[in-house]
Amino acid sequence: MVGTLVRPALSASNVDLFYGNNQVLKSVNFEAPEREVTALIGPSGCGKSSFLRCFNRMNDRISGARVSGNITVAGQNPYDPKIDLMALRRDVGMLFQKPNPFPMTIFENVALAPRLHYGLKGSQLEGLVESCLKKAALWDEVKDDMRRKNGLELSGGQQQRLCLARMLAVQPKVILMDEPCSALDPISSEKIEDLILELGQETTILIVTHNLQQAHRVSKHCAFFMLGVLIERGETEKMFSDPQNPLTADYITGRFG
Amino acid sequence: MAALGLDDANLLERDLKRQRSSQLFSVRLLICALISIGVVIGIIGTILVKGVPAINWEFLSHAPAEGMSAGGIWPMIRGSILLMAGTLLITPAVGILGGIWLAEYAGNGRLPQVVRACISTLAATPSIIYGLFGLAIFVLKWKLGTSLVAGWLTLSLMSIPVVMLTTERAIRSVPPTFLEGAVSLGLSKWQALRRAVLPSAVPGIITGLVLAAGRAVGEAPPILLTAGLYFSTEKLTLDFDTLSKPVANLPYHLAEGYRQGGVIPEKIIWGTCLTLMMFVLLINLGAIIVRSRQRAKQRW
Repeated sequence: MVGTLVRPALSASNVDLFYGNNQVLKSVNFEAPEREVTALIGPSGCGKSSFLRCFNRMNDRISGARVSGNITVAGQNPYDPKIDLMALRRDVGMLFQKPNPFPMTIFENVALAPRLHYGLKGSQLEGLVESCLKKAALWDEVKDDMRRKNGLELSGGQQQRLCLARMLAVQPKVILMDEPCSALDPISSEKIEDLILELGQETTILIVTHNLQQAHRVSKHCAFFMLGVLIERGETEKMFSDPQNPLTADYITGRFG
Repeated sequence: MAALGLDDANLLERDLKRQRSSQLFSVRLLICALISIGVVIGIIGTILVKGVPAINWEFLSHAPAEGMSAGGIWPMIRGSILLMAGTLLITPAVGILGGIWLAEYAGNGRLPQVVRACISTLAATPSIIYGLFGLAIFVLKWKLGTSLVAGWLTLSLMSIPVVMLTTERAIRSVPPTFLEGAVSLGLSKWQALRRAVLPSAVPGIITGLVLAAGRAVGEAPPILLTAGLYFSTEKLTLDFDTLSKPVANLPYHLAEGYRQGGVIPEKIIWGTCLTLMMFVLLINLGAIIVRSRQRAKQRW
């Protein structure tokens, strides 16, 4: 286990999560450092996606979801009854497992949220859209027809990069990624991974992944979940070369998973 | 397959048997399909054969004459169009918003379940009951009299539950990931619905609205007691008074035409029948065109 971080960007202490009577997370204690990529790994159904969704309260739509314990993200507690959920979600962006661009033009996909949130328009808005599409490495592919072409006409990998641009346009402080490459082909995945590495220099990223190699490639820190319990967390390099818990060792060496 | 104690002949026989029963089933399905298609063709064919000879420009554009034994049915067509237009104005305000509530705000608690069951029941309630309700409330209690407005309200009341259900279905057929994505960007629920979900649901909502209103306008019972005039020879005047006066309309004209057998020549009744059918058909066709145009643009 690593010691307490000086300034964790995300933290959880004694977090329990229930869906109805089903306990999904069992007293999880977790911290993720600022401006680094932290990966959540573990077998299917271990609760890592559910844990990720606690940080922007995307579990709310599931009926019967209950969370206890303490969570902080970008200096706020998402489960504080007085929280401004819209403001929280502006600070905490999310990339989903399946690319989900809106059924509108590429430009509108990116422009929608900053226009509604910050009242941007005209050249200011256009500049933001351009810089976000560039950050998502999509600009060159769409700059000519982004005002005509529907976001859903792009390929899967392009759609995921569009979703990334759309999220960056809100200027999040923390980015959550829920298996962002699992629906993509290897080449598209590689592009997304490159972007994760790049964005991770300046933004805090928490990524759930099924792919151990991917976790190894993109993350500095790592947390291993099993059956709703956080088994081990630490620096990725160390955890992959010298896991402390035998369960972690078995999972990483592919004995189950 | 020796391990299972079956030889090739045995297997072949089983395969033949399965093929035969599969073929037999397709034949049965075909027969059922033919029966239902046959009924429709029979009805439409009869109406066409008997109605077409009555239809000409004069029939569609003139008022009845000589005690309805001659002339046309224009006042009734005009009345049905007026009834349809008002219903299309009033119904969406309640029906579409109600449908949005059902789909996204009601949740799955006990109360919304009860509401949903009530609405489904209302959607299947016989139209004569709406007619009586409209008579009791709009015509008598609200003192609107037998009038176009009372007809609008009654027909809207009848269409609203159907529109609520079709709107709910149209919204639920939009992938929930659109809403999830919008909400995760910090949009409010209404912003997310309005920007990311509703545009994709609009064709379904419009189709449901037009079909519901079209169906309601084709019914005689709800307007019989609230707005009906079974015939009219009036010239076309459209002013504020029109709202408080009863209107002649196709379904009621048809019903009375049958009831008072002998007064109106059979040819004119069949002609009216065909006109009403074409009226509803045109409305449905419009809805189908709207839907298919929009669907061609849709990419999920």
